[in-house]
Amino acid sequence: MTGVVVCTWGMGRGGGPPTGTEELLTLGRKTARALDAPLAWVVLGPLPNDAAAIAGRHGVASVEHVTDGRLERFEADVYVEALAQYCRASSPRLVLVSQTHDARLLAPRLAGRLGATVVMNAIGLAAGEGGRLQVTASAYGGDTRVVYDLAAGTGWVVGVATSVLVPEPLADGAGAAPVREVAVDLASVKERIRVIARAVTEGPRIEDADIIVAGGRGLGAPENFRLVQELADALGGMAGASRPIVDEGWTDPSRQVGLTGRITRPALYIAVGISGAGQHMVGCAGAKTLVAINRDPEAAVFRYARYGIVGDCLEILPELIRVMRT
Amino acid sequence: MSVRIVVCAKEVLDPDAVNNYALEGRLEIGADGRTLTQTSIPRVMNAYDEQGIEAALRLREAGLACTITVVSVGTADGSEILKHAAALGADEIVSIPIDASTIDHHGIARLLAAWVRSSGGAGLVLCGRQASDDDQGVVPALMGELLDMPVVTVARSLASIGEGEMRVVRVTPDGDETVEVSCPAIVTISNELGQPRYPTMAGRMAARKKRATVVPPETLGVADLRPQVMLARQFVPAVKGACEVIAGATAAEASERLVARLRADGVLRA
Repeated sequence: MTGVVVCTWGMGRGGGPPTGTEELLTLGRKTARALDAPLAWVVLGPLPNDAAAIAGRHGVASVEHVTDGRLERFEADVYVEALAQYCRASSPRLVLVSQTHDARLLAPRLAGRLGATVVMNAIGLAAGEGGRLQVTASAYGGDTRVVYDLAAGTGWVVGVATSVLVPEPLADGAGAAPVREVAVDLASVKERIRVIARAVTEGPRIEDADIIVAGGRGLGAPENFRLVQELADALGGMAGASRPIVDEGWTDPSRQVGLTGRITRPALYIAVGISGAGQHMVGCAGAKTLVAINRDPEAAVFRYARYGIVGDCLEILPELIRVMRT
Repeated sequence: MSVRIVVCAKEVLDPDAVNNYALEGRLEIGADGRTLTQTSIPRVMNAYDEQGIEAALRLREAGLACTITVVSVGTADGSEILKHAAALGADEIVSIPIDASTIDHHGIARLLAAWVRSSGGAGLVLCGRQASDDDQGVVPALMGELLDMPVVTVARSLASIGEGEMRVVRVTPDGDETVEVSCPAIVTISNELGQPRYPTMAGRMAARKKRATVVPPETLGVADLRPQVMLARQFVPAVKGACEVIAGATAAEASERLVARLRADGVLRA
């Protein structure tokens, strides 16, 4: 077993690589150095714009473009088999994926098929003792961190929470990396999951929002969520929510920010009446500026915040809306 | 023909209690450096797994001829979670006793898959989308490989549409997606399914008489249970805590100051 592989699929905004790719390449580069192994970037399906140049900035030795007509869009059985064939041919020591919904299925299926060892929710990697891999991951909805030792001698597949990482391109990055076309044989793969109705994105996605105002139980009553929406509108942003109020039906699940909801990384995140549970903060810890508004000065959310207002959010929200509108 | 539904359930430390300790800054890791020590934290069934049972009960209520078996690996002695499953309406409860600290999720998937095979197979395997302790969520997919079953993840609802076919509505970042899959299949259930029910008094009474079928792990013929993933350490993350509190005599004043700061920082347009 040899190299470190960063694997991505799909496109991000403007046809570029999907969200989290550069963060993953950064982690891949550092880990490859620690393991004294070469770094490859495997792209399943259509190649994103500027892939070769981006790869060059991250010290990628080769962009491995796995092409096949059946890889146009993510389908679990086809994708797992394509990546498994690539791995059987090139025997990477470590495969890294950014932890999307699809990756949460693909990574363990791949590991199962290859007899590899899998861990998800990773936020850090290091070479361990005796040829092991040391993985730091979040647990208990972000309330704790765990450090796992992954056994030596098996391949490793690791799902990475890229939303909490920062991309660090090389200052003296080489030019474009070479792109190698890799063929796979998917003729015998039967996709067992038949999509009847695709998800249709209705309007903008909260994952892509630059400004988010998110409300929690501190709003007191379902009808007060309206204030969160009004402030979001006044700021030109989107409204988000914590899981408890989504579970209670105050707003739509598509607004839920957190471990089991949406992972966001806006420029500005205003948490209103949100206590700061780990599982929520996982979904907004990547915000550049976090503002907390909470009645309880001891609320955990203040530990994450850049700015805080201690007070009743039902008094403060209308004032913020007023200030923003004038 | 009756479908055998298997629901996999894990016992976890109550995540709400863990979270309350964490929010108060009082969460403690034991001398072994690995486990949470507060003995006052109750052990409960993973809430997503409870929703797996709820999904099974809804299928039965919708008219699917089925039996519901709830199985748990490594549940502590005296655990109430299988009793709870029986009280909710499980026809059979199964315990595979093993010291949970000695195996990893690969071992758990191997034990569950071997037990499913040796106990007559399953038409449908339901699991919670992840466990609320380690949040890994990999056991269903690992079982899918071992049992050669398709795995449909993060379901908000599922329905039998006849001829061994299931229709599943999945939660995705782009909205709901509807898929169909042929049984046998594995489906993972998310909280969007809605609140699981409470046991009825009659259910609780009936559950008292129900005994778990105990399946010793060594009878399942799993060659290797040595963990590939070993928990070395657990810790409570330090949060940077550089919050600047914006004060004001009134809500209006504090709001104006906050907006002024965000504009000065260039976060908001002036």
